[in-house]
Parts: sequence; structure tokens; C-alpha cells
Amino acid sequence: MKRRKGTNENLMTKAGGELDDRFKLAGPARVLMNKVFPDHWSFLLGEIALFSFILLLLTGTFLALFFEPSMTHVTYEGSYVPLQGVGMSKAYESTLNISFEVRGGLIMRQMHHWASLLFMAAILVHMMRVFFTGAFRAPRETNWMIGILLFWLGFFNGFTGYSLPDDGLSGTGLRIAEGMTESVPFLGPWVSAALFGGAFPGDEVIARFYILHVFVLPLALLALITVHVGLVFAQKHTQWPGPGRTEHNVVGYRMFPNYVMKQVGFMLLVFGVVTAMSGLFQINPLWMFGPYEASVVSSGSQPDFYVMFMDGLIRLFPAWEFRVPPYFTLPAVFWPGIVGMGLSVLLPLLYPLLERRFTKDRGHHNLLQRPRDTPARTGLGVMVIVFWVIGVVSGGNDVFAQAFHISLNAMTWGGRIGIVVLPIVAYYLTYRFCLGLQQHDREVLAHGLETGILMRDPEGRFYEVHQPLVEPDERGHTELEYSGATVPKKMNRIGVLEPAQRGFFKSIEEPSDEDGRRDQIETGNKR
Amino acid sequence: MAESAKRRRGWRKRLGALARFTGALVIVGGLYSVFSPSLYAQEAEDNAVDSDVVKGQELYDTSCISCHGDNGEGVDGRGPSLIGVGTASVEFQVNTGRMPMAAQGAQAPAGDPSFTEEEAEWIGAYIEYLGGGGTVPDDLAALVENAEEAAGGDLYRVNCSSCHGYAGGGGALSSGAHAPSLSGTTDEELYQAMLTGPQNMPVFADNELTPEQKADIIAYVQYIVNDDADPGGVFSLGRFGPSTEGVAIFLVGITSLLLATLWIAGKS
Amino acid sequence: MSADNDDNRPDEVDLSDPKLSRFEVYREGLRRDGIEILHYEPRYPKPGTKLEKRMERIVASLFFGSGLFATLFVAAYIFWPWEYDGAATWRDPRTWYTPILGITLGLSLLLIAFAVLTWAKKLLPVEELVQERHDGGSSSEDRRLAESTVDTVVDDMGLKRRPFLVKAALLGAAPLGLAAVAPLGGLIKDPGDMLTVTGWNGDKHNGGNPVRLMMKDGALVRPDMVSTGGQITVYPAIEGGATNEFASAPTLLIRLRAQDAEQLRENLYPMYQDVDAMWGDFVAYSKICTHVGCPTSLYEQQSQRLLCPCHQSQFNAIDNGAPIFGPATRHLPMLPLDVDDEGHFFAKSDFLVPPGPAFWNRPSLPEEDEQ
Repeated sequence: MKRRKGTNENLMTKAGGELDDRFKLAGPARVLMNKVFPDHWSFLLGEIALFSFILLLLTGTFLALFFEPSMTHVTYEGSYVPLQGVGMSKAYESTLNISFEVRGGLIMRQMHHWASLLFMAAILVHMMRVFFTGAFRAPRETNWMIGILLFWLGFFNGFTGYSLPDDGLSGTGLRIAEGMTESVPFLGPWVSAALFGGAFPGDEVIARFYILHVFVLPLALLALITVHVGLVFAQKHTQWPGPGRTEHNVVGYRMFPNYVMKQVGFMLLVFGVVTAMSGLFQINPLWMFGPYEASVVSSGSQPDFYVMFMDGLIRLFPAWEFRVPPYFTLPAVFWPGIVGMGLSVLLPLLYPLLERRFTKDRGHHNLLQRPRDTPARTGLGVMVIVFWVIGVVSGGNDVFAQAFHISLNAMTWGGRIGIVVLPIVAYYLTYRFCLGLQQHDREVLAHGLETGILMRDPEGRFYEVHQPLVEPDERGHTELEYSGATVPKKMNRIGVLEPAQRGFFKSIEEPSDEDGRRDQIETGNKR
Repeated sequence: MAESAKRRRGWRKRLGALARFTGALVIVGGLYSVFSPSLYAQEAEDNAVDSDVVKGQELYDTSCISCHGDNGEGVDGRGPSLIGVGTASVEFQVNTGRMPMAAQGAQAPAGDPSFTEEEAEWIGAYIEYLGGGGTVPDDLAALVENAEEAAGGDLYRVNCSSCHGYAGGGGALSSGAHAPSLSGTTDEELYQAMLTGPQNMPVFADNELTPEQKADIIAYVQYIVNDDADPGGVFSLGRFGPSTEGVAIFLVGITSLLLATLWIAGKS
Repeated sequence: MSADNDDNRPDEVDLSDPKLSRFEVYREGLRRDGIEILHYEPRYPKPGTKLEKRMERIVASLFFGSGLFATLFVAAYIFWPWEYDGAATWRDPRTWYTPILGITLGLSLLLIAFAVLTWAKKLLPVEELVQERHDGGSSSEDRRLAESTVDTVVDDMGLKRRPFLVKAALLGAAPLGLAAVAPLGGLIKDPGDMLTVTGWNGDKHNGGNPVRLMMKDGALVRPDMVSTGGQITVYPAIEGGATNEFASAPTLLIRLRAQDAEQLRENLYPMYQDVDAMWGDFVAYSKICTHVGCPTSLYEQQSQRLLCPCHQSQFNAIDNGAPIFGPATRHLPMLPLDVDDEGHFFAKSDFLVPPGPAFWNRPSLPEEDEQ
């Protein structure tokens, strides 16, 4: 036993030596293995998108083995009975074959689709985390912009993928894209003719979208993801304020083994969730949609959720068409469809620069901000979320109307008014809410925690006993600076009651007996 | 007096709609409607027409006359004339519980039938007596037996899917009306609905779609809605398409992974 | 870390000292990477305790479980009946193929994920380290060195001394850049009349004869094929008329009730009156929505509305198909109808205004601009 172990070690040393002789790895490898990463649940959101992307590459490669991006007309002879003998394009036929004739093809298709939804959803959640904590501030503006570009690349890659099967639903999406394209003044008809190779739908668009979907856009995504992750690595991750944490250090654990093991485990977890969802939930049952025909449509035709807010804006925008008869028409869809999309790209892209301009804050920041400490930004973020959610809900307003028996026209009007009014209300409420939270933090720092114990003084007045966080002065006040870190709000947080236990359903760690460090961590106060 | 009461009712209805809208946003409701397949099975009905005009008239005069008027002539603003609509229409409306209508609204919803199938036949016979109309062919079962699903699918997509959806889940129409879901419907009901065009549905009489074509459509609808389980998963997400898929990715995917991040990493 | 902690930092050690333990050498590596250990202890202070053994067993069984489900997945993939063969309920095992694959592979992945994560969380040492973060630019020394390097390179090339050469290079490269994207010009196609002429144009598609109406299966349409309150989708009766080749041609032929038809006649725009666009109680509207082109095919025969299911535009079937709700701005163009000697419907001409979504130079008639 012992001797074998020794041999193994020798072998490894020897192999390492051989490698180092050639590639000079010893130095860089040590630096890499020792690199320190901060630890917080919210730092894992971007990884969901990264791992979904890996899964998309894997499943997409499988699908490409069987998919034929051709609009050649064929007659279906496969095993799905209700389509036998129906004329369709080769693209749709091969997608049906993946679903019915290829062993395990259906689950791969569903995994690819679910992974794409998870990819986009995770990007959104990750983007919110970065926005609300101010992680996009200098020196990380570039990486924020790359992130926004990644969202839009994912958006278009998703849309091209949704279009490829050439079924009834995806054809309807293409038709809407055609209408939007044509609305652009002067260029519109030319761009549309170039895209579709003449009149819609032509017979070239699937092949064009295919090369975009499997080569051009994924390549751009891969390149930008590499830069995105590389920059996080090079600039070092931001961290939350806390005891011992400054702008000039990183507190956390080492890359090896802790960080990497958690990442590998999390990656497998993401794969597992997508796979289980693909077995449990049917997605995009395109055998029911039939081949695309220009005269055919279904009620409840929607794009995937990340495109839905564009669709919602198009539904809500009033019928305002600008005309100079008979020379010029500016269709209504131009405003939400083209201008709206342009602004949705541009404004988020430039946000770090805009904020810099308004706050005149030109410093570098490696410590995150709590959302309550930047009420204006938090309010703005919630405003955008409310706007977006109303857009998404309006994108599915017919499904809502049907499922909950609401008038469709009422849904549209509700959306039109709501999308203007509610974001403003949301901004105001969020702003006040943030100020309230700030105020409470300051109160705790000045007077201590509310214990819930009521006392009566000799004059008969009631008062609540407060537990000061440090030794108070003679007037019962404590002079504690707010450091941007969490302020304890409950007695058990400062060790008066049972020590706080972490865990969701039950405790997941042994309470530590280290009194000194615990105090230091939880009061945000150095001894 | 009546005017203001009506207006108040209108307001109450609008408030009710608002309340429903708010309720709709509650995720629990969303979840329920996503995951619960609404399959209220209907008993196959016996289609033998055994007319008894007098019995039908008695029932008509007690339950239908207030809206549809004397001798089915209709009452302005309350109910349309029934002359010429035929037995198929009556049996469809009565057997699916759409008629008699509980309250005036954008459209008559399906529900528990107030009459037995026999009584519905009597009323149908009376309406037939008032003035013709379409009937379901006796050999419908044989027609459906020999029908072609693929041909029916083609016809379904051109004529039906725009309202009832690709998967027969139904859809919203203008101003509060909606096209109902096709799940749990019988062959006869489908045929009657096509033949007579109840409420806002256009008429697909025998000159638009031959009985054979209607049988094709019925075979297709039964295939996708009632016979074939979803091969893609245990939950069909209501077959609503991308909207419920989007809800699922957040409620299931993102939520479970967020909980996982809380377990994997520290909290602050 | 702040200044007072700097004092606790371990001093540089002499690596040639043979008495150094592995940990001391390791800590020297950390020190050189600007890392200091705040806290580092084994998760289980005494190795081999019951608690630790139990945790090892849990992790091991998670790994075994993962392998078991992966094996089940492969077995199900190979042996479970899977070929689709007509309608099947949940009682048929074939229906379960995809769910079984998803559940077994999913569980296998989840279990191995939990195994790795539990290992990381419960068996690795408890650690907290702090690493220096060298934020900001390079040192002024580095910058100076880089600047002088760049300047030397620029000088060597003589970019400042030879402005003419620079301009010449730019002038030469610009067309080359254009040449690189020029092949994309192969995509450019003149839109021509693709947005204005449809399959109903007999001059272009039917040798100068008017185009008849047909159903999808090719049957020509006669007035008796539509009953009152009914509608059918019609296509130009030319070759490929019902295919996507003529994607803006699909039309909805409606037979209105007599009183509704009367009302439509009263409302008819002058341009449709001039060509007598209706035939009896029949009217034909373009099925392509004037908003962004979805088929506007929800005909509500009671409220006389045409609804587009994509963006909920609503059109009034008894008022020239004028938009009454939603984002659409223009009426659905009417196809001028007539019936020939053989009793078949035909289109007297193409749509008077282009159907479908608008574009900047869309020709319009004066009537339309008043809407």
C-alpha cells in the first residue's frame, strides 16, 4: 500500500517535471491555484448562464447531426400520423424526424430549448445582481457592456434558433420580423429583400439563419464569454463590505480545491436541472404546429419569453402612423420595434457612463453597494423591471385573457396605462423603501437593537429596551459609523440568543465557538 | 331606475374583472392553471332523434322564451331568433350547458347542462319544427372511423387554429369573448359546433366543409387533444406555448438554482 | 489588509532551509502571491471521527447513486421501447421514453453534483484567506518603459516623419476594407414590386386573365360554397397560388348576413364603390394583417370583427375592414369580387392598395389617408 502511494507521488512529480521542462508551468500554476475568490450566493448567478451555454453547445452539436437547414419541399412520410402525407419543408421534416425517428432525439431537442431559456433567464438575473450592487462601476464598465452584448447576442441566437424548424409558430415569428424590418424608412424593403432573398418567405432564410445560429452568433458568444470571464479573473471579483474587507484586498477561499469543486458541482447541478426539466416538461411541441403557411396562424402565438417584451411593446403601442401622402409612411411598428429595440440595446450599454456623469464619481470600486444605499439607482432598476414585466405580460396578454377570463381589450388598455404609470409609482415606492431601510440601519447603530422587551419607568411611561451594539455613552448612544455592510437586526445575530444557524431547512453548519471572531463579523466592528 | 341598476351592474362587472386580473397575477393561480389539465369529460351522447315537439315546446316556454321570444322569434337585445338554427345547434348549446344562460355576458360559457339529453332532443325537435336547420348525420361514427387525421390537420390549421389554437387549447377573442378549449369534447359536439357556428364562431355548413371533411377535422382534434399523450414530458404546461414555458423556467429552473446557490455559497 | 495586520504577516522564509515543513513552504508560496491565511483548520479537528466517517459514507453513496442512475439511463436508452407509432396514452410505455431518459439522466447528474458539492462543503478544510488586490494601472515606471518602447517603434516606422506614406496607406486600405464586405452585395436584391403586387394580379401571374378564387385543395369557389355567417380562406387559382410563394395573397371570403351586407354597402369607401368590390352579400378581405403581417383570421360572426391573434388588432368587417382596436393603422384591403359565366368567383383586379405591413414608400389612395 505504502509503496504504491510513494510510486504515485513520484510519478506525479516526474510528470509535473516533464511538463514544466517544456511549458514552464510551476509559477503560473501556483498563482492560479492560490487565487482567492470571495464567497457569496449572488456571485454564482452568471455561472448558471455559462453552464447553460456549455450545455447548449453540447446538445446543439447533437441536433446539427440530424437537422437539415433546407426549405426544399418534401412530403412527410414519418411516423407522426396526423402529418403523414402533408407537404412541408425539409427543415421541418428533419426536426420532426429528430423528435420521432431519432432515438433520444426528442429529449435532446427539449434540453437544447430549456437550456436556451435558462441561459437567457440566468443572464437577466445575473444582470440585475450586477446592476443593483453597483458591480458595473469603474473599473468594470467594459465587462458590463460585454454582458449587455451577450444578452443581445443570446436574444438573436435564440430567435434564429426558434425560426429554424420552419413550423407554424416560427414562421409567424419570421413574418413579424419581416413586418418590423420593412418599417425602417428607406432601407426597410431592401433589407427585407436581402434577408429573405426576395419576397417573404422565399426559400433561403432558413439556410441563412442556420449559419448565423450555429456559427456566427455562437462564435461571437464564445469569444465574448471568454473575454467576460477573463476580465472577471484579471480584475478580480468584487466583494461585499465587511470586517477586514477593503477596496484593496479579496477575502475568500482558494481557487483550488474549494472554488473549483463548488463550480464543478454547480455545473453538474445546472445540467441535472435542465435534464430533469426536459424529461418532465414538454417544450415546443412543434408536431402540432404544422408546417408554416402564410395563411395559417394559431391563437396564443408567442415568441420565447426573452423576446416577449418586444412583442408586448408592439401590442401596446397605439395605432400611430405618420404619413405624408403619397410619398412617405412611417408605420406604427417602427417605434416599439426598431426604435424600442435600439434603445433597449443602447441605454443599458451606456448606463455606467451615464451614471458616472451624473454622480461625478470617477473612482475605482471593488466593494459592492447595498441596494438600499443607492436609492436612485435601485429605484431606476425596479422601474425598468416593472416596465419589462408589463411588456412580457402584455406579450402574452391573450393567454392571460383566456386563462383568467379577462377581456382582451381590457388587458391591452391595462397594459398601455400600466406601462406608463406603474414604473413611476415603482420608482417612488422603491426610493422611499430604500430610505426607510437606511434610516432603520442608522437607528440600530445609534441606539441598538429592538429587544421587544417593554418596560415602564417610575413616571408610568412605557419604553422598549434597546440592546446597544457596543458600550454606549452616558446618554445611551453609540457612535458607530455605517460601513456599508449588513447591520444586525435581530438579537440572535449578535449572539445574545442562540447563535445564528445557516441553512434552509435545517442547520448546515456547526455553530462555531470562536467568540471573538464571531462578534467581529457580526457587529461589523473591530475589537 | 333599471338603467342605473344596469350601470351599477356594469361597474360591478368591471370591478370584478379588475379583481380577477389582480388574482390572476397571484402565482398560485398561475401554477394551478398551468399544471392542471382541464379535462372535464363529457359522456358520449346518444344521437337518436326522437322528436316530441309538444314536450319541447313546454320546456321552451318555461326556460327559453324570456330571451328567445315567442315561437323562437328572438327578443331584441336579449337573445337571437332560433328559427332555422336546427337541432344540432340546440343540442350543442343545451348539452354543453351553454344554454340556458345564467347571466347576460360577452359569451355563454360551457357548464353543467340544465336538461337531460332527452329533454334537449325535445327542445331541438321543437326548434326544428319552427323552421329547419342542420342535423348531425346518423353515420358520424363511421365517418370519423374512416377519416384521415392528416387531411383534418390541414383543414384544422386553415380554419380552426386561429381561434382554438394549434393544440386545441382555445384562445381569446375581442372584448372578453373567447374560443373554448376542445379537450373533452365529443365527436357530436364538434360536429354540431362546426355545422351551426354557435355564438361568434363562423358557420362551417356542408357547402364549406363536407361531412367527410368535418369528420377529418374531428378525427384530428380527437387525436391531438384526447387520444395522444404528450410524448415530450409528463407535464404539457397547458400547451399554451412559450408563455407558460417562460413561467416554468423562472418558477422551476431559476428558483431551484437560486436555492442551490444559497446552499452552495455564503449569504453575506 | 489594513496596516495593523501587516505586522502579523509571516516573514519571507529561506527556502534553502532543509528544516522547513511542507506547510511552511506552501505558505511562502501564498505569501509571494500576496495571500495571507486568516483562518485554516480541518473540518474535523480529530481525523477519523464518527461524524467524518458518516459524511464520507454519504458522499460515497451519492457517487454510487449517480452511477446507478447513469446505468439506468443507458439501459433505458437502449432497451426501453421508444418508436412513435400512432396515438398513445400514458399506459403505453413508449410515451414514457422521454420522461424516463430525463429523470434517470437528471437524477444521475443531480446526485453527482450533490456528491461533489457535499465533498467541497463538508470535507474540505474550513478556510478564509485574504489576497492583495492591485487595482489601478501599472506603475509609473512600467508606463514610462512602455511609452518609450511605443515611441521608438513609431519613430522606427517614421510615422511622424512620413505623413504622406501614412495617408497613402490609409487610402490604399480603405478600398480594400470595402472589398472585404463587397461580396455581401450578393445578398442585395431589388425589392421591386414584391410588396405591392400579389398573386391576384392577372397581368403578371395569369397571362392577362383575371384570377379565380380557389380553396387550399384547388377547388374553385362558387357563391353556394359559403353559407350565411360563414367564411373560407381563398387563394389565387394560379400555379402555386396556395403556397408560400404568394405569401401576401391569402384572402378571407365572407358571406355576411343580409342586413350586415347592407350596412357595409353604405359604409363602402369610394374607391371600393367605384369598382363595385362586393358581390351580393360576399366580401373578401386580405388575410394579411396591415400591422406586421400575421393572418387576421379570427372572424367573429356575431360582433363582425376580424381579430389578428398576434397583436390583437381588430378590424370591422362591416366597415371596410377598418381598424377599431389595437396597433393596426390601416384597413384590410378588399379584393374586388365578381362571378364569371361558369359561376366561379374571380378577382376583378389585384388589391387596390398593397396588403400587409406598411413600408416607407407604400402607395396609398386618398380615401385611405383620411382614415
